[in-house]
Amino acid sequence: MSDNDTNDDVRTDGSGTGIVAPDDETPTWRERKERTEGLARLTYEYFERSRREDQDLRQQSDYVERDVLAFPAWPHEMMRNLALTSFFVGMILFLSAALPPEMPHPANANQTPAIILPDWYLYWSFGLLKLQTLNPEISLLGGQKLMSDRMYGVIANVVVVGFVAIVPFLNKGSARRPVEQPFWAAVGMTGVVFSLTIAALSVQNLIPMGSDLLLDLSFLFPIVCGVITYAALRTMREGYMFNLNRRYYRLRPPK
Amino acid sequence: MADEFIKGLSALVIGGLGWMTVAGWYKTPSFEGAQLTGEAPPAETLTVYDQVALFMGDAFFWFAIIGALTFWLLIPLVEEGRQVWAERSS
Repeated sequence: MSDNDTNDDVRTDGSGTGIVAPDDETPTWRERKERTEGLARLTYEYFERSRREDQDLRQQSDYVERDVLAFPAWPHEMMRNLALTSFFVGMILFLSAALPPEMPHPANANQTPAIILPDWYLYWSFGLLKLQTLNPEISLLGGQKLMSDRMYGVIANVVVVGFVAIVPFLNKGSARRPVEQPFWAAVGMTGVVFSLTIAALSVQNLIPMGSDLLLDLSFLFPIVCGVITYAALRTMREGYMFNLNRRYYRLRPPK
Repeated sequence: MADEFIKGLSALVIGGLGWMTVAGWYKTPSFEGAQLTGEAPPAETLTVYDQVALFMGDAFFWFAIIGALTFWLLIPLVEEGRQVWAERSS
């Protein structure tokens, strides 16, 4: 250590923590790769060096570093929000002026419409009411069904909502990104796709497909999507950058 | 890079809005049925303004597609190619 280590100047004489090599001793990338200390050390040196360069740049500039975690609301955030707000308000004004919506005939309260559907965000529940082909005919009852099709559809709703309700107890969701827990990401992807396919089943008259095929697909396609998601995320997890980042976060020393 | 992105997005938004407006005026016969892609009215009923509007609709459509493709694919590809060429020749 040099004798004047009370100040915080950057030392380039090879002393110091030894974390960052001085410029004239910086090994080339080929030398780094030939080291036997492993990828962890290399990763740590790489990020530490980039952090020091960043620190040097900030100290050289005249930017006043404040002890804040984000940009101030005025003017930075407000200017961005105003720009985005103006864009969307302008689009609303333009569309309402240029393309006024057509006013159809008023609703006739004395006549039932041909197609009765709930709002689009309830299509999945409406589709679950149409599972009567899955209602088993019990041979012990002489080919009769144990419960009516209406009851079966309501029970299906209870099962699906119940599964959604217990998912937070099965996995509390500590992962920050899907690649960290591929299995649960696949479960979530299956649920999302199933909500779409069961919604398509509820409007099966509008889908250009046979109803049997549609019923099969609405249960098989989510599973296929989940398997693809799991495979893709596992492949990404074995990739290079994931290990690199994980080592970096684990190795970073506390302040 | 960000500049190219916002240029491509601007082309896509301006072209798409212009095309959607003209298509909503001329190529949407009714609420039921084909919307924005329906049949245009017969040519003999069109005034000069209608013909100009239909032409502008086509122009907006291709401006959206070609503009986005240019700024998001073509120009970055050319720049990448020039970089590779410069590294190879140096």
